[in-house]
Amino acid sequence: MALLELRNITKKFDALTAVKNLSLTVQDGDMIALLGESGCGKTTTLRMIAGFSKPNEGEILIDGVQVNDIPAYKRNVGIFFQNYALFPHMTSFENIAYGLKIKKLRKQEIEEKVNTMMDLVGLNGLENRYPRQLSGGQQQRVALARSLVVRPSILLLDEPLSNLDAKLRISMQNEIKRIQKVLNITTIIVTHDQSEAISLADKVIVMKKGEILQESNPHDVYEKPMNAFVADFMGFENFIPSKVKEIGEDFAEIAVESLEKPIRVKKAQCFDVTVGDEAKMAIRPQKIQLVDPQKENAFIGTIGNVIYKGDYYRVEIKGIFENPLVVHMNEFKLKSGDTTGVWLSSDEIRIYKSL
Amino acid sequence: MFDKRTGNFTKIVSICAIIFFMAPLVVIILASFSPTELVLFPPKGFSLKWYHNIFSSSVNFMSGLSNSLEVGILATLLDLLIAVPAALGLAKYKVRGAKKLETFFASPMYIPSITFSLVLLQLFAMMGRVPASLRIFAGHLIIIMPYIFRNTYSILTTYNWTLEEAAASLGASPRRTTFDITLPLVKAGIVSGAILSFLYSFDEAVLASMLNSPKFITLPVRIMNYMEYAFDPTLAAISTLLILFSLLIIILVEKVVGLNMFMK
Repeated sequence: MALLELRNITKKFDALTAVKNLSLTVQDGDMIALLGESGCGKTTTLRMIAGFSKPNEGEILIDGVQVNDIPAYKRNVGIFFQNYALFPHMTSFENIAYGLKIKKLRKQEIEEKVNTMMDLVGLNGLENRYPRQLSGGQQQRVALARSLVVRPSILLLDEPLSNLDAKLRISMQNEIKRIQKVLNITTIIVTHDQSEAISLADKVIVMKKGEILQESNPHDVYEKPMNAFVADFMGFENFIPSKVKEIGEDFAEIAVESLEKPIRVKKAQCFDVTVGDEAKMAIRPQKIQLVDPQKENAFIGTIGNVIYKGDYYRVEIKGIFENPLVVHMNEFKLKSGDTTGVWLSSDEIRIYKSL
Repeated sequence: MFDKRTGNFTKIVSICAIIFFMAPLVVIILASFSPTELVLFPPKGFSLKWYHNIFSSSVNFMSGLSNSLEVGILATLLDLLIAVPAALGLAKYKVRGAKKLETFFASPMYIPSITFSLVLLQLFAMMGRVPASLRIFAGHLIIIMPYIFRNTYSILTTYNWTLEEAAASLGASPRRTTFDITLPLVKAGIVSGAILSFLYSFDEAVLASMLNSPKFITLPVRIMNYMEYAFDPTLAAISTLLILFSLLIIILVEKVVGLNMFMK
């Protein structure tokens, strides 16, 4: 349990600036996610918090104490590694007990704490197994238990679910969230998976090229991405080139080249644009409806490629905008080449400045 | 011994290879029990007199053995203290010129031992009175070091250094991490390197014959000297004991660290 602050952190590797002037605060007991593509600086940030590397500029504070020069082993920051990093020559019990042994606890006390922790993560009966004798999910639990049993003031999770299959992901996701709440540990998750970030964290921080693009609660980052990059990351697959024609009191008029009439969008759904800007009109594939071509205000298009994805059909619709419009449909009876009407609800549209 | 999937061809080749390696040993062992003055195979009769001769011969094999053990063990131990930290440091910190240093530490392997012996002989001559034991010890210290260094280093190049970070995050100091985590995990390389080093020193004759003195002669040199004027089965008896000795080392290693470490 601790308050973590990063103040104007910069980290350079030779010519590359991995983290640029980054500041953030994590409240005591909060769980935040650093989200971004590989190379965005999220892992570098994590490693600096853990103490494995030092920032070139800026300060890292834990509970108000500057820790820049405190080595990793004196920081009491627990870390869960993507590849688990279990000690292969120790049993799961010994792995979990290692941190307590370092602290020179009495043998009986170590045993109690390890057993409690094994209970908590559901590892009973596997005390004497070596890591290679455990499944991926079990190894992950050992790694989690090992980092938690020493009661770190901050817990860092590096891509905690990336190596698991879909079913295990859900159960581990619940597990992590439950344990984090039980122990109330300040936690930072690094991930490239938006659904992981959204479902686990209290606050999501989207990073790109070493900088923070957006910092908000999971709902807002999903519903109101603040720029086209975050929107793309959050699954807005359709970005239609457009122009901001007019911005009124409540609505903005957006012109799209291939359409005669401008589209009216609520002002709250326009981000950082002014009249005359080249813009991108963004909409999720799930939020587009296919309707009868006769319907008023519907756009008319032709069905292009259709791919069956199991839980939905990915349908491309040509002839409305310059690029095909991607639509996800649960039910789909039409076929390639058919004419269809497309209904864009203005509530689902977001307008971003062209990058 | 064979997996079900092993083909017949593989089986035959393996058995041939085993016979090829083992047959000479069997011949030597059987010949050592021969009562005749010459090495004969198959032996005519049975006698332990050549074994007795090892201990009573005017060629002092026993002092040779103790000299060889002394040099071999001490040189191996000191080299462990030099080569293991060197390998650790070189593998862990990507220092500039690491590649060159790596070659440097392995270099004694590439220099012919006869050349190296001559250089040492010259050097010790310049230095004046250096005892033969020290001369041979110094020579062996250098020529066996690459085996420990390279065996350790090669395991470290594939070592998962994240484990050290994991230990650090649990509060282990760098020193503890090295002893608790890294060394136990590269133990296989260290032990196999140490065995190779020791056996090389124990067996080494070129350098030892050039740097010795009448007061300090190692076992291989004693054996060579003996061969010059006698060809009775005493040498077969010694060889049998040395085979037994190697076997004991392997069994010991098996007991302590497990032989399967060589398979990794």
